[in-house]
Amino acid sequence: MKKMKNCVVTKRELLDLIDRKIGEGKEVIAPAKQENQANFKRIKSTREILWEGPQTVIPPKAFLFPQEEELMEYEVNDEIKVKVKVEGKPIILLGIHPCDMNGTTLLDKVFAENNLDEHYLKKREFVTIIGAECLVPCSTESFCYRKESVLPLEGFDLFLTDMGKNFFVEVGSKKGKSLISKIARKTTPSDAKKLRKIRRVRDNLFDKEQRKLKPKLEDLPKLLRENYDSPVWDEHGSRCFNCGSCNMVCPTCYCFDVRDYMELNLKRGNRTRFWDGCLLTDFTKVASGEIFREGRGARLRHRTNRKDWYLFEKWERSFCTGCGRCGKACLTKIVDPLDIENELYDRWKR
Amino acid sequence: MTIYKPEIAKINRIEKLTKTESLLDIELLSGKSLGHQPGQFVEVSVFGVGEAPISISSAPSDLATFQLCVRAIGNVTSALCGKKPGDKIGIRGPFGKGFELKHFKGKDILFVAGGLGLAPLRSLIWSVLNSRKDYGKVYILYGAKIPQELLFKEELKNWKEREDVEYHVTVDVGDEKWQDNVGVITTLFPYIQFDPAKTQAVIVGPPIMYRFVIRELKNHGTPDKKIWVSLERKMKCGVGKCGHCQINDIYVCQDGPVFNYEKLKNLPEAI
Ligand SMILES: Cc1cc2nc3c(=O)[nH]c(=O)nc-3n(C[C@H](O)[C@H](O)[C@H](O)COP(=O)(O)OP(=O)(O)OC[C@H]3O[C@@H](n4cnc5c(N)ncnc54)[C@H](O)[C@@H]3O)c2cc1C
Ligand code: SF4
Ligand code: SF4
Ligand code: FES
Repeated sequence: MKKMKNCVVTKRELLDLIDRKIGEGKEVIAPAKQENQANFKRIKSTREILWEGPQTVIPPKAFLFPQEEELMEYEVNDEIKVKVKVEGKPIILLGIHPCDMNGTTLLDKVFAENNLDEHYLKKREFVTIIGAECLVPCSTESFCYRKESVLPLEGFDLFLTDMGKNFFVEVGSKKGKSLISKIARKTTPSDAKKLRKIRRVRDNLFDKEQRKLKPKLEDLPKLLRENYDSPVWDEHGSRCFNCGSCNMVCPTCYCFDVRDYMELNLKRGNRTRFWDGCLLTDFTKVASGEIFREGRGARLRHRTNRKDWYLFEKWERSFCTGCGRCGKACLTKIVDPLDIENELYDRWKR
Repeated sequence: MTIYKPEIAKINRIEKLTKTESLLDIELLSGKSLGHQPGQFVEVSVFGVGEAPISISSAPSDLATFQLCVRAIGNVTSALCGKKPGDKIGIRGPFGKGFELKHFKGKDILFVAGGLGLAPLRSLIWSVLNSRKDYGKVYILYGAKIPQELLFKEELKNWKEREDVEYHVTVDVGDEKWQDNVGVITTLFPYIQFDPAKTQAVIVGPPIMYRFVIRELKNHGTPDKKIWVSLERKMKCGVGKCGHCQINDIYVCQDGPVFNYEKLKNLPEAI
């Protein structure tokens, strides 16, 4: 992505601008209160936005790769007519944290690889992403700092850093640039200095508060390769409920199942895809009854290896952004990749 | 067009091969040839029921028709076997990596098929037999549970009669009319004398068969890179996205289903 000029906007002006867009009917999705938790939802006013957490239960992948998504509908008469549903609608995803922006960037890569997944890409095309930097850790489970995920790689239209009265804005696309062209002003050397200071303080805070990753980040594929047969997998796995929550809440889990539905008249139906999870028992089960990844330890290993070995090696980037959602969601506290990797590392060294 | 949109095809003929397996002749409505390689598969749609990956059982040809041999075991496969000539279905593919004939040309070939494994293997067997002079010796070992489950009985007779094919068959449990071998597929190996240095061995069958047949081949001195297998896994998309078919870091729907054993032996989840 070509680097575009950064700028500064006053918070008031940006939020007013967004509120005006909302007033005009624009769909703006942001982290907001839902029951007693936070989740991404359509907001009526920017006052609803939870800028500093708590973290949303579900990552923003739900707006690009919905939990349930109709791929096509069809009519079955003498002829069969299939109508593919490749649709996107313009939305603004606002207040997304760097870990989730990176998660989205990784999904962009896998869905655009080889066989283009137009259902995802069409939705992605219409989405404007306005991210927000985290200056305090959003939860005790997160470890984004250890996964080089406190800043977004790319994949945003605008990226905001709170500087008090103003936002420092990194501009990632023409779409982002034109959105704020009327209110943006040039950055000054003192803005840049202030930003550096904010980030230094943030780094120190995150380094102090977040759990440490004992192996070096770049050594994770090797750690996992060499500990493929570690007893850690079955020790953790034996306590897994096969609930699949860790897959559902992960911003980089993208496996799916596909099902057909037929109306009662047996003439019209659709084919729909759903989130699926590699921790679920049936994930590899075929009609003959064979389960190809039998054993909860083996399934837990597969999930971890995908994040920090298989996809890490392929894309040269960890597929765990350290958002901490799985560790929080797991009732028996066995799935957190950082915990597993530290344990593998400790036992390996001995 | 998207990667998930099936092309509409017509069933021209259905032949019941056994109690549970049927052979379907299928033609794309576009009139185009499928253009497949032996060992590749298609995703077959029965609209309103779902999709299933099925190997292409016929040898590649320029014709607009191709054949699938389907075992009625679940929703989609039972619906397929219950179709009538003229019914329409959906086809995506061909997908995956099949058998590349260049690895087999000029070599002796040992085919080992267990049960429904003959369905995909048949596309390679007929590719070889259709230009027989391009290959060395051909051995076919085939096993089924009981005589009633043997597929393609006419073709088996042809292979048995041919001078240029050495064919042996076995069943786990025979009946009063059964005159051939009884026992698991590895009990056929004493009947043949193949030269491991010149022979490409191709195995397709149920998951547990691989371990035993590979051990047998290795006992005979067959090097890993002369062993070929085709693997089954759960598949939903066929195009490397849904994650179901993964074996460690590889996707069976993209990198397989046909694999050289040299590559597979380093994947602990494979066999
Ligand atoms: C590369 C390859 C080649 C193959 N070649 C052949 C071949 O040549 N001939 C042949 O007969 N078979 C072949 N198979 C096997 C065949 O694909 C399976 O038997 C088939 O998928 C079974 O589908 P089904 O719908 O009939 O069975 P079902 O059991 O009804 O469904 C199959 C899968 O879908 C899931 N499922 C079932 N119902 C639902 C639901 N309601 N919602 C979500 N998921 C559901 C199940 O978990 C199951 O794993 C091949 C498989 C592969 C991978
Ligand atoms: S594996 Fe867990 S911590 Fe890592 S990105 Fe997924 S949900 Fe977040
Ligand atoms: S959240 Fe925990 S218990 Fe549930 S499937 Fe994942 S590892 Fe198993
Ligand atoms: S079948 Fe979906 S990834 Fe292979």
